[in-house]
Amino acid sequence: MSEGPELSEAEAFAAEHALGVLSPRESAEAELRMATDPAFAADVDAWRARLAPLTQAIAAVPAPAGVWPRIERALPANDNADSGSGRGLRFWRGATVGSLGLLAASLVAVVMLANQPPRFVQTPAPEAGPLLNASLTTQDGAPVPLFVAAYDPTRKALIITSLVKAGADPGKVHELWVIPSDGKPRALGFVEPGKSKSIPMSRELAENMAEGSAIAVSVEPPGGSPNPNAPSGPITAVGKLAKI
Amino acid sequence: MSRVAGGDRSALRQLYDSTSAKLFGVCLRILSDREESEDVLQEVYVTIWRRADRFDAARASVMTWASTIARNRSIDRLRSRGMMAYAEPIENHELPDGGVSAEALLVAAGEEGRLHKCLSELDDRTESVIRTAFFGGVTYETLAQRMDTPLGTVKSWIRRGLAKLKGCLEQ
Repeated sequence: MSEGPELSEAEAFAAEHALGVLSPRESAEAELRMATDPAFAADVDAWRARLAPLTQAIAAVPAPAGVWPRIERALPANDNADSGSGRGLRFWRGATVGSLGLLAASLVAVVMLANQPPRFVQTPAPEAGPLLNASLTTQDGAPVPLFVAAYDPTRKALIITSLVKAGADPGKVHELWVIPSDGKPRALGFVEPGKSKSIPMSRELAENMAEGSAIAVSVEPPGGSPNPNAPSGPITAVGKLAKI
Repeated sequence: MSRVAGGDRSALRQLYDSTSAKLFGVCLRILSDREESEDVLQEVYVTIWRRADRFDAARASVMTWASTIARNRSIDRLRSRGMMAYAEPIENHELPDGGVSAEALLVAAGEEGRLHKCLSELDDRTESVIRTAFFGGVTYETLAQRMDTPLGTVKSWIRRGLAKLKGCLEQ
């Protein structure tokens, strides 16, 4: 049987991402690669364009009259003006297909981690506040998270889980930031691709772990952003802390 | 699109008027549920509004770009329904409208016609798996489970199918 021309491994992966058959973890890896490898991003775009005509064969159906007013109400004002705060954060592009199932599973894992009692304490201390969590995604609003974070106010620790494939972004580090309501990023440390860790928060940092604070991850040179007050590399994923 | 990126709501309205029926059709095709499709259609245009500055006319037409967003958002929604939606056996999940529509076959030229022609040149199983993946938002893992076939086998069907598809489209 004729095999036809083979796709290179990279292009096959791009095609699979465009088709949407990858697992959530592999999709996250593909998104990461799109952000750092323009040739790969172009392959994904080309495959999306190749497959898009499939949707064009679908018959058009006039949308009900009520939809447009709903869209208008949902439009954020001035949303396109560099996110208002002027932090100049560059976000990942891409039209990821996500799985809420994975998100739910990850959150369960994070909650279980967060709920493990401290090793040397018989009874957990009374709760200092609600557990907060954030699902860090690329900015297009796709539900597939690249990282999930949970803040445990009792132990003043942030538990971060990277869903990025281990070994991704060689020669770079993924630096974690909190951006509270004042808009100033504070560095929290690093998280290795594919790993989970608990980061103890100083009292000062703990004050920033509030509902609505953004948790973000940037790709940085080894050692982290040369500027301790802001990411130097691209912001790869961001999410807001909210009560579970 | 540049007016949409600049925050011009009337430009978004124009885009909506010219594309919403197509995109609503895409949502309905994937979700088979009017109410959910309306929700997703709303999300799609809010996404277009937010991301219009990323649109690159050199890379795709507005329609291709917008339908990709509509398809992906619909699949996100489909997946968020959870395991129930995945429980359907693959036989029942194939195109309810009978695979390649008669209408599509009548399209003599253009990229749409070419894609359908090239897909139809694949063996039936590969064509069906690719279509199911595209419209059903099904991952390799789910496809393998549904077809009771090793994941590696399904993966090689699809990879080979995609390679052939590309070769055919480039002819």
